Amino acid sequence: MDIKKSQQDLESASNDEDSNINGRRDFFRKTAALSVTALAGTSLLSSEAKADDPAIMEPQKWGTAWGDPVTKNLYGMPSKYEHNVTRRYTKLLASGNYRASIAVTPIHESSGIITPNGLFFSRSHGGVAHIDPNEHRLMITGLVEKPIVLTMKQLKRYPSVTRTHFIECPANGGQEWRGPQYNSLQFAKGFMSCAEWTGVYVKTILEDLGLKPEANWMLAEGGDSSKMGRTIPIDKVLDDAMIVWGQNGEALRPEQGYPVRLLVPGWEGNLCVKWLRRLDFASEPWYCKEETSKYTVLKPTGKAIQHFYANEVNSTVTSPSPEIDWTDLEDGDIVEIEGLAWSGMGTITGVDISFDGGNNYVEAKLKGLVLPKCWTRWSYMHTYKKGQELILTSRAMDDAGYIQPTIDEETLKVGVEAVYHRNAVESWKVEKDGKITHVQIRSQLDRKPNGELVIEGKV
Amino acid sequence: MFKLNKNLLISISAAAALSLGLTACMEDIMPSANATPSLAASIDGGVKYPVKDDKTGPYYVNPQVEKQAKHIFNGRIPTEHEYEEWNSDVMPDGTGLPEGEGSVEDGEEVYESKCVMCHGDFGSGGGGYPSLSKGTAYDLHETLTNQRIKPDMDGPVRVFGTYWPQASTLWWYIKDAMPHPQTDSLSDDEVYSLVAYILNINEFEIDGEEVDDEYVLNREKFLKIKMPNVDGFEPKIDGPEGRANVRKYFSNPDNFGAVKVKASERCMTNCQEPTAKIVYIQGAGISDFHPPMSVARDLPKEEPSAGGFNAEKAYTESCAMCHGAEGMGAPVVGNKAEWAAYTAKGMDKVYTNGIKGTDAGMPPKGGTDLSDSNFKSIVDYMINKSK
Repeated sequence: MDIKKSQQDLESASNDEDSNINGRRDFFRKTAALSVTALAGTSLLSSEAKADDPAIMEPQKWGTAWGDPVTKNLYGMPSKYEHNVTRRYTKLLASGNYRASIAVTPIHESSGIITPNGLFFSRSHGGVAHIDPNEHRLMITGLVEKPIVLTMKQLKRYPSVTRTHFIECPANGGQEWRGPQYNSLQFAKGFMSCAEWTGVYVKTILEDLGLKPEANWMLAEGGDSSKMGRTIPIDKVLDDAMIVWGQNGEALRPEQGYPVRLLVPGWEGNLCVKWLRRLDFASEPWYCKEETSKYTVLKPTGKAIQHFYANEVNSTVTSPSPEIDWTDLEDGDIVEIEGLAWSGMGTITGVDISFDGGNNYVEAKLKGLVLPKCWTRWSYMHTYKKGQELILTSRAMDDAGYIQPTIDEETLKVGVEAVYHRNAVESWKVEKDGKITHVQIRSQLDRKPNGELVIEGKV
Repeated sequence: MFKLNKNLLISISAAAALSLGLTACMEDIMPSANATPSLAASIDGGVKYPVKDDKTGPYYVNPQVEKQAKHIFNGRIPTEHEYEEWNSDVMPDGTGLPEGEGSVEDGEEVYESKCVMCHGDFGSGGGGYPSLSKGTAYDLHETLTNQRIKPDMDGPVRVFGTYWPQASTLWWYIKDAMPHPQTDSLSDDEVYSLVAYILNINEFEIDGEEVDDEYVLNREKFLKIKMPNVDGFEPKIDGPEGRANVRKYFSNPDNFGAVKVKASERCMTNCQEPTAKIVYIQGAGISDFHPPMSVARDLPKEEPSAGGFNAEKAYTESCAMCHGAEGMGAPVVGNKAEWAAYTAKGMDKVYTNGIKGTDAGMPPKGGTDLSDSNFKSIVDYMINKSK
């Protein structure tokens, strides 16, 4: 490791923070004492000969004339100054004409734990279908006592539940099994978003339809041109799977499967079949195209994991990021390091932060609502030292008992050809000038004659 | 796939004959003690949040719903025709696979007219679309143990012939979702012929017989296909133990690259291997982002356009993939001779072919939802670039 920072260094760093805070307190005490003798309290204001800020000194056009009437923009739009906050795509991840493709979420610009509907990542296998809700039907058949076909109006009459869950493509981070490729948070970790969903539990509808005891698997199939399908075990269907029509207080967006999609909380995004038109129940699994040719994890043994459902515990530093760096910070500035943690297997219980690329950790703090299978915000207060190189690495844990592995731990078990389900810790290097670079901390792998992966040069 | 029984439909509409309710079934799916350590464990290796004191995890639930859901039937029972219309899935045992036949020869013809523009010559791939073959499946199946742990190493070949565990997936997928811009448009015999062709380019044998250029595939032969990688997947999901196998597999973190540890025992110091080094992005990495990355708070730049529609931009987004490069089967922008042959037939014909699509592979309006006039302006742009 190029950067070594022992626990002792970290402790002394935090002592420095204390002394720095005390220094500021002293300053304010002294200033307050002086102000008593001053006349109108204006002594707190700077009398230095700096140029006044025209943003304050000059009247602005928006402060001196009418704004728009309320009759304009009856469906509101973001400020035009926010035009760079959009989903983005890259040719690397696309079929030639962007129908079997993905556009990813600008999580470097995300606040809180809710992704606005216009920024929710968009993945489709045959393009974004635009369905007339009056002509859409949902059919539930197979090993049920009583099959059913529902209009949207009939479906929405079922008693609803509302839950906040992330949806993550299992290929999130999947381009970086063999090394970092994107100097970007949006592309390194933005194949996911989080929203408040409203719909009905599948189990509520099945109460009435009567599932037969020999039903083991459910097929969920979309009504779009790709007829996207996935097989889901009954265990999950009867736990928390939902048929959803609401997203953050409004109808699903077309990119999210309007008028209706499946939501399988915590599991691979592709299981949350969009434009949902059919649920079928059978005793044997279906072998849909996307659960064999794709969304399987090939291990060094040559065997591949199929039906790998849950997105495992994961986290990332969101601030700073390659997009929003620390080049504007001054020496001694106190700055919040912030991030996201999430687990499809449960609820986040803690996050650790490392300043040396995951060699030594201290505890970060969770903040805000902490919900199952949901984005969770975490935070750590840091005193910035100008010119100091750091490698920021976060590591999350969940209530199922899982913790994020190191890259070495993960690749030794599943190799580097897995494509999906990469959840090893991620690192940002803070350069001397405050720029942020995406790096990985890992060993060179080697292979034993029996095919087993080992660390090269490890004694 | 489940065969709907007419008598069943009649009997269930007659009375509340729901002797097998959901409650009994839920008991049935509760994990047995030897399969998992905890009743609260989910099949995926995670935790469950069972309803307790009218709450699941942090969420309140209305307890009236569970009691009364049995009496909600908001829809209607589908007719047999409706059920059959959507019941297109094909399962590994042949359930749902119709009778029919198709030859390799016919398959090649369909392939050349409807598939080659995306999947390339002999299924070699291209333009971001999947390869269908890389050669002899039986040999290339051996590459699945390859790991590119060093830059000069070869990776595993994951195409239909080498990787997919079931041939039924291919038949079903082609029938339902191909050709990509015009799905659900092939007859059963055409699907058999395409499957025969794909088996041929993967150099398959069925029941000891080579799928050569003369081969004719039918349902009976299809069901005898043995995929080289049929045993290449874990956990085993078939049969009565399928779900229990999945549960058992994901109860062991070592199986899927996960790490479990008590919070109090997690590593806080010297957690990396001493051999671990900083690895940087090679070269410029991937930075082909659209739109280009920016966090500026400025006003958007006005895009140059004529009459509010930018033909060049629309061409780049929707047409260049097939018309921008040789080998995709479509006339290439810039190739004067090729375009002159089309325009010689008259511009009306060129527009009509573009708007309605052709059997040679042009999807209607190139798969876009543009207006006729905007579509025509792209055609004009492409022709102007080819003069």
